[in-house]
Amino acid sequence: MEVVFNKVCKRYGDFTAVNELDLKIESGSLHFLLGPSGCGKTTTLRMLAGLETVTSGKLYFDGKDVTSLPAADRGIGMVFQNYALWPHMTVYKNIEYGLKLRKLTASEVKSRIDDVLTITQLTNFTHRLPGQLSGGQQQRVALARALAIRPNVLLLDEPLSNLDAKLRMEMRDNILKIHKQTGITTVYVTHDQKESLSMGTSISVMHAGDLIQTASPRDLYRNPNTPFIAGFIGETNLIEGVVRKKEGDIYSVETVLGNFVATRASGNYDIGSKVSLSIRPEAIAIDWSGNGQGDNPIQLKVDHLTYLGESEQFLLKSAQSDKQIIKANFYHAPDHSFSEGDSIQCFVPKSDVLVLPAQVEMGPGT
Amino acid sequence: MINSNQKEESSKLARRLSDAIGYGTVAATIAILFFFLVWPVAIIISKAFLNDGQFTLDYFPLLFANELYKNSMINSMWIGVATTVLTTLVSLPLAIINAKYDFKGKGLLSGLLLVPMVMPPFVGAIGIQRFFARRGSVNLGLMEMGIIDAPIDWLGPENMFWAVVILEVLHLYPIMYLNLSAALANIDPSVEEMATTLGVPRWKQYRDIIWPLARPGYFAGAIIVFIWALTDLGTPLLVGYHETVPVQIFNMITDVNENPVGYSLVFVVILVTVAFFLLSKFALGNQKYEMMAKGHVTSSKNEAGFLGSVFIYTLIIGTVFVALVPHISVLITSVSDKWFMTVLPEKYTLKYYAQVFQAELPFIGIKNSFLFAGLSTLVDLALGLLIAYVIVRKLVPFPGLLDSLVMVPLALPGIVLAFGYVVTYTDTFLDPLNNPVPLLVIAYAIRRLPYMVRSAVAGLQQTSISLEEASSTFGASRFYTLRKITVPLVMANLIAGALLCFSYAMLDVSDSLILAMKEQFYPLTKAIYVLFLEQGSGSLVASALGMIGMLILTACIMGASLILGKKMGELFRS
Repeated sequence: MEVVFNKVCKRYGDFTAVNELDLKIESGSLHFLLGPSGCGKTTTLRMLAGLETVTSGKLYFDGKDVTSLPAADRGIGMVFQNYALWPHMTVYKNIEYGLKLRKLTASEVKSRIDDVLTITQLTNFTHRLPGQLSGGQQQRVALARALAIRPNVLLLDEPLSNLDAKLRMEMRDNILKIHKQTGITTVYVTHDQKESLSMGTSISVMHAGDLIQTASPRDLYRNPNTPFIAGFIGETNLIEGVVRKKEGDIYSVETVLGNFVATRASGNYDIGSKVSLSIRPEAIAIDWSGNGQGDNPIQLKVDHLTYLGESEQFLLKSAQSDKQIIKANFYHAPDHSFSEGDSIQCFVPKSDVLVLPAQVEMGPGT
Repeated sequence: MINSNQKEESSKLARRLSDAIGYGTVAATIAILFFFLVWPVAIIISKAFLNDGQFTLDYFPLLFANELYKNSMINSMWIGVATTVLTTLVSLPLAIINAKYDFKGKGLLSGLLLVPMVMPPFVGAIGIQRFFARRGSVNLGLMEMGIIDAPIDWLGPENMFWAVVILEVLHLYPIMYLNLSAALANIDPSVEEMATTLGVPRWKQYRDIIWPLARPGYFAGAIIVFIWALTDLGTPLLVGYHETVPVQIFNMITDVNENPVGYSLVFVVILVTVAFFLLSKFALGNQKYEMMAKGHVTSSKNEAGFLGSVFIYTLIIGTVFVALVPHISVLITSVSDKWFMTVLPEKYTLKYYAQVFQAELPFIGIKNSFLFAGLSTLVDLALGLLIAYVIVRKLVPFPGLLDSLVMVPLALPGIVLAFGYVVTYTDTFLDPLNNPVPLLVIAYAIRRLPYMVRSAVAGLQQTSISLEEASSTFGASRFYTLRKITVPLVMANLIAGALLCFSYAMLDVSDSLILAMKEQFYPLTKAIYVLFLEQGSGSLVASALGMIGMLILTACIMGASLILGKKMGELFRS
């Protein structure tokens, strides 16, 4: 089932929770809605489910307008953040409930329940009440219950946020496996960027009610289109600057740390325009020769460092500006240890410098 | 494919139908509230200001010029004030003990404290008449012991005021106690611990921290006690203290068409209750503070030492004993055979209990009360659940308004409502002279609706809305979900609320006395009242009947408190 949002808005009085959302979710994909809390991702999911009315705009399932169709008629399966298992019904009854509403034959109901119990490995728990299950089991019941009705679209609202770290990893694999088996178009809401990067077919990042970018995980990490996304997906250093030179795709940007040459940009920037440069911590490399070789050479001073075993995390300051702190991760540091106050000669490959719009437009929280 | 489409269509139709029925019920509920709550009150108010369709203020000077009415208003006011002050004095130490100390048998003793709720004070009035009469047990006992020489006229005209107040206090202190306990239990103990670490002395903690936090709870209970005492009809009627507003209104009902001053008196009652209600809600108790997450709540209770335990036991058992004196006196009266000029009866008998079932009137009373109270409880269940659902899930434009409207009966004296029904529905098909059953059932139901709504709201608020949303994503209609998911989850609250509604409907005095005009329709309370007025053994049968009523109610209230546990206190606040 292909899902299309067309200029969908949700307003509560003066407050705009979701602003003119345009989005196409491909049939069969595992699509993520990602953003910090309050960004409108859950509201978007709830509009998709029919649990929240759409203020304006249209919503289509396979080209059919479902904007004002009640939740009951949309044929969606939803997993709630708190699972919303009915505490007075056993696992079996919880799953059976939705099937009974569909007036299926008794044998069909039975076989579907067996199917989803197998898929979610719950066969031995059918007669337990939700209160007698662990968090992970409850989560699987919620999933089984949503899958049993063979939904057009499966909606997952932060399904793993109530689980501990280990279980979360397990359930990620589980959900991926089930998605692969069933091929159901799935929309997954989360604030955990690692979850979305590791699982998603595609990811939509939302911020303050706006959809900012939709892309594949790789593309999103490599080519974020705003400083906010660059900072939200993984870590990055954002450095303000002004475009001084432009030759084809090669930009030269003047910053407080000196000039940077960049070969990647999120758009077309004229000479003189204010921009942000995004440099990932892992892109900064040490120039062991110490004589300013490589792209974008820069002299940095160690302000603070954290030893992490396989790598070392540095907070660095430049000789030119005390205010700009640069984060860098150095892996496999050779047999050489730095201490605070040391100077390091570094360089940044120009293909790892990304030109983004200036940061000011994003408002607080970026 | 076609087949499955048809199925889908028919289930859609069924869903629409059930939605329509649901919204229809909501509309009917609002209509009932309008016709049996808003409209009668509006009629009274309009009649207090209208003479032949012309606006007039003439009735009020008449009202205040009349010595009897003026005295009645003053007396009733003082009954309300004295009762509120005394219930506070009785309940405060008990509530503090409950909140701060642990001792053996706490559950049982706390339960005992609530027992006096099960009896309308007017039944107690029958009992104390025997005990405190000029030649009654108390005087005889005191004279035997040589403490007094001549009998004291305990219930003489100059003492009637205090007799009424004490009966009200003994009946109403549990409501105050429940409210104060709930308010104190809600206070995060760490806020006191913090004050202690800062070196704030104990009394200052009570003044500066505990009191501001407990104040809304206190006033929520105080206003109920005040209005209850001010407008209780049964107690002053049976004690014989007729210079009170409820008794005057009761007497005026028969000639209300000739004497419009009655309307103005009822209007004054409405005005006073509304004024005090608003005062308690907005001026004194409006600031409710959100408690932050609780720390270790268990650590806050102190184990009472030996002396402390002795003190606590004495206080609680003493309170319960005094509160039960009227009940005990009713019990003894009901089984007394020969009782003349002795402290206790010379012989005991159960024949008055037998008479309850042999004679016509008492049995009619029991039968009718079960029927009316049962029907009104069903009405409360249906209305209460729906209203609570609509309020909690915000299905109407102004849920707060509906909430306030439903809570009005808590502050609206029963006597006002009954008076309003008589005025509004006389000479209509609901005329209580012909058949008071519909009006009685509705009056019982409306007056207890707040308990049901509160109880159901408490349950619904604890039930996550996502449980219902989940159901709707599977294609269930709102009312299928209500039936299959919501109701089973709040069942405990519904049962508890229903038990309370039933008990209080059985106890109802003002509606029963006013609306049931023919013997065949007398409920329990009116039967007791009429028997009490009879010569001969009437008051003895009335006592026996009162005891049977008490037993039924004890069972109901114990059931409710077992189911609701600590949440019981929340039902008795405005």
